[in-house]
Amino acid sequence: MTTFILNLFLAFSWVTVTGHFEPLNFFIGFILAYVMLWLVRSGSAPSNYFKKVQQVIGFIFFFGHELVKANLRVAWEVIRPGHHMYPGVVAIPLDIKTDAEITMLANLITLTPGTLTLDVSSDRKILYVHAMYIEDVDEFTRSIKEGFEKRVQEVLG
Amino acid sequence: MFQEAVCAIFLIVGSTFIFIAGLGMLRMPDLFMRMSASTKASTLGVGFLLTALAFKFTQLDIVSRAVAVIVFVILTAPVAAHMIGRAAYIAGVPLWYRSVIDELCGQYDRCDHRLGSIDIRTQDDERAEGDA
Amino acid sequence: MSLIEISVHFSTAMLSLTVVFAFIRLVRGPSLPDRVIALDLMTTVGIGIIAVYAISTDKPVFLDVAVILALVSFLGTIAFAYYLQKVTDIADLKGD
Repeated sequence: MTTFILNLFLAFSWVTVTGHFEPLNFFIGFILAYVMLWLVRSGSAPSNYFKKVQQVIGFIFFFGHELVKANLRVAWEVIRPGHHMYPGVVAIPLDIKTDAEITMLANLITLTPGTLTLDVSSDRKILYVHAMYIEDVDEFTRSIKEGFEKRVQEVLG
Repeated sequence: MFQEAVCAIFLIVGSTFIFIAGLGMLRMPDLFMRMSASTKASTLGVGFLLTALAFKFTQLDIVSRAVAVIVFVILTAPVAAHMIGRAAYIAGVPLWYRSVIDELCGQYDRCDHRLGSIDIRTQDDERAEGDA
Repeated sequence: MSLIEISVHFSTAMLSLTVVFAFIRLVRGPSLPDRVIALDLMTTVGIGIIAVYAISTDKPVFLDVAVILALVSFLGTIAFAYYLQKVTDIADLKGD
């Protein structure tokens, strides 16, 4: 967290020194400060800031990839004549515990086309998900747990 | 010229996604699949259309407002979909007759809508034994 | 005709067709939630139409309308969902 504040402060200094008060310039300064902090990081002061940022970026790419893939699949399903779906409601046991993590996982599942979070059990152990393509229940559960849930745990945990 | 081309591409892609959302709304056989097909595709489509607008007017205030609308729509669409889906399931809207599995069936307490977490895949047999 | 004009015509046609589809779903139902999501889709398309119209007329002020519509349509959908749940609760109470 302190590394993040330092990073922001350095980016701000970059903007003041260069004299262009624009978001793009701030962004450039932020990246430069990040690279610089990464270069001078010391082994003695352990900070997971750098790992976290890389995880967040990886997460954004992963989610974008999933979003495009699922969107194209559903779009093809809608255009193609006839129905070729295996829909159903699946109970997914949760490993994540906090409200923030469950909310984020539920929202991500709902944002992906073809899957829809219906509810979470009152004791927060099971997430009920409606999905359009369930070839195999265990396979589907595993794909959610090892795809979305693991990433959410990494980013927020 | 480059800006115009990007704007045109985003317009076409966005409106195609929204069109697919509308078609899905019409063609899908049950409520939950209609929601799956329509809410997300339309959210993505509106995102693309607003990005086209941001590329057309490159002033900072317009771009920031377009980004604000995109973020807001992306944040609220899943919440709305989840609330409608839950209310519809509780109200007894049927699933499609060719649905392969419904593990939520019978888990709701009818009075206060508390949701249990009994794993019906493993505990069905135990419950049957208990009844006997 | 410029590239943008052509794509604006294309988008307008697509969005209008989508509103027609949503309206058919709104009329046919069969259940109340179906109608609610049809209305939800119509407001979302409304935001898109505003964006396209702002591009075609070169007037970015219309974006303010899109902001308000995005805020209000969410509240509308949530209110419908809440209403649905209350209706079900009352029906359940009468059933018992």
